[in-house]
Amino acid sequence: MSVVPAEKKTTAIRPTPPKKANPRGALGVYLRPALVGLIFLLSWDVGVRWMHSDIFPTPFDVVKGVWELAQAGLLLKYIVASLFRVSIGFALATLVGVPLGLVLGWSIPAFQAFNPLIQIFRPISPIAWIPLAILWFGISDAAPIFLIFLASVFPIAVSTISAVRNMQPVYLRAARNFELSRAELFRRVIFPACLPQIITGLRISLGIAWLVVVAAEMIAVNSGLGYLIIDARNAGKRYDLVVAGMAMIGLIGLGLDLLVRRLEHFDEVRWMYAHRR
Amino acid sequence: MKVTDVVRHGRRCAPVERRGDISAVLYADFFMPSRSRSLASVLLLFAAVWLGGISALHYILNLHTAENKFAKVAKKDKFRIGFLPVTCHLTCPVSDFINQKMTGDNIFEPIRFSSWPELKEAYLSGQTPATFILAPMAMALREQGVPIKIVYLGHRDGSAVMVHKDSNIHRMEDLRGKRVAVPNRFSNQRLLIFRALRQAGMTINDIELVEMPPPDMPAALYAKAVDAISSGEPFMGQTELDGYGRVLWLTKDVWPNFISCVLAVHEDMIKTRPEVVQQLVDGIAQSGKWLDQSMDHRMQASQFVSKNYYHQNPRLLEFVLSKPPDRVKYTELEPLRKDFEEIEQLGREAGILKGTAHFDDYVDPSFARKTTHLRAFAWEEKP
Repeated sequence: MSVVPAEKKTTAIRPTPPKKANPRGALGVYLRPALVGLIFLLSWDVGVRWMHSDIFPTPFDVVKGVWELAQAGLLLKYIVASLFRVSIGFALATLVGVPLGLVLGWSIPAFQAFNPLIQIFRPISPIAWIPLAILWFGISDAAPIFLIFLASVFPIAVSTISAVRNMQPVYLRAARNFELSRAELFRRVIFPACLPQIITGLRISLGIAWLVVVAAEMIAVNSGLGYLIIDARNAGKRYDLVVAGMAMIGLIGLGLDLLVRRLEHFDEVRWMYAHRR
Repeated sequence: MKVTDVVRHGRRCAPVERRGDISAVLYADFFMPSRSRSLASVLLLFAAVWLGGISALHYILNLHTAENKFAKVAKKDKFRIGFLPVTCHLTCPVSDFINQKMTGDNIFEPIRFSSWPELKEAYLSGQTPATFILAPMAMALREQGVPIKIVYLGHRDGSAVMVHKDSNIHRMEDLRGKRVAVPNRFSNQRLLIFRALRQAGMTINDIELVEMPPPDMPAALYAKAVDAISSGEPFMGQTELDGYGRVLWLTKDVWPNFISCVLAVHEDMIKTRPEVVQQLVDGIAQSGKWLDQSMDHRMQASQFVSKNYYHQNPRLLEFVLSKPPDRVKYTELEPLRKDFEEIEQLGREAGILKGTAHFDDYVDPSFARKTTHLRAFAWEEKP
């Protein structure tokens, strides 16, 4: 729920405007996505039955699979394990990526020196890093955390760099008039001015971090949703559990995205977006 | 919407009386942001609580229980062994389970991998000083200078070539121009195909070989993405059990006493802790003898291994360990020179071995020789 933008206060006392689809009503927020979801599930179910596949599970099989995992107490364990690895990896990536991006976005020599290296590392899939992750971090939680860190640190850095570079020059001119020191300039002008774009970058990167959880848990860990998928492939014909793992990853991804979106409702971020809504 | 509504909802201040309690502040600020608290303070608080909470939960739910399960007595000399959930490595979990049951402890901790590359990399990085591994892979590693020694075999036989039951493939010759899946270029299944082709008067150019992780093979055969598959059990038995796979031939028909996986240990371990290696090999040998002692033992193993180590349906292991009983063997597991010389020669033909390392370089048969007098574990699972 967002704060109602200030300009609406005035429109509220005017005569009611012509009826338009209300983007915040129950229809838009719940009903439409529920309808699309239902159609998707139905066509999935019909598709599986129509093809007479006894390998590919129906949505109901998947729900039963999820229930089976929950009964065995594994579901919560796996979700916690995956969230733990992604949280730590993503937190480290934020701690490294945002300051790095601010510096590289601000200093042109630093950007020239380091940007090619970042662009070289950025497109390398975390899967390619698996052997090195095992060699460096062994077969503990550190290896998947490292992979998640790698997958998210570059998008965070790149979006922060572009946030700084695209900053309106008027803020800087104003700041110069106040004769701010370099540290104060960063803290009081550059960082707040870039924050909305940084938050958007974080949101996208969190999606990427969560995306690589399957690949990251291919290393010999014995918990996690990615491990669930790999374990189910080993288990013979348990593709219901494979799809259950996929569904849980997707649903939790949706939850994470909604959570990060909340950040956009803060005043520190909203000033950039409010007028677009 | 009335003005009063807008004003009331426009500023969602957290209720004053709930401040002070961290969870209330978190909830109020995060879900109902207000001007009264800055983004930075909320974010820091939320991040701290989240990271702390999720780490604590992870510790309680996953790390703590794992510790209880594997290392109640956290001995520092307990070493890790890599294995995959295939019948070729069955003696590893069996030995672990029976040792745990008989003595309450075990000298090693089995670590399950999902594919060959990761298993190999864990060995190379020293994480698993002992590992079950494909024989030609161990030999190739030795050629590349890796200090690895084969001390025992994992099994004999226990592999098959499967085709789709609707296909017209009934003999090796029918595979001409077809697509055949093998687990890895270093797998003995690939060498097996080479050998079968030679027996049928064909060459590798007559078929198309693809590499595929064994767990993916049943689905690939079902979807007819490949015409034939070959890997360790239970993935071959699974296609038969599920009713779409047919045995083209079992390894015992084409290459009697076939070996695919071996137990290998790091040379340093042989030098510094030979008594531990001997203990390990003894346990594996006793497990093998126990497995071959009676069908009842195999059924017991199917249950506890499926449940505790492989996470598969026990029916699968029951099937491949019994139909037919000589589908896989766990006795006569001493590494013999003539077997490895044959693998060496086939490996050279298949282009995976250079032929620079020989039996004495990559095998240390001394541990296996001391196991001949050993008997099967005297242990029965109580119902």
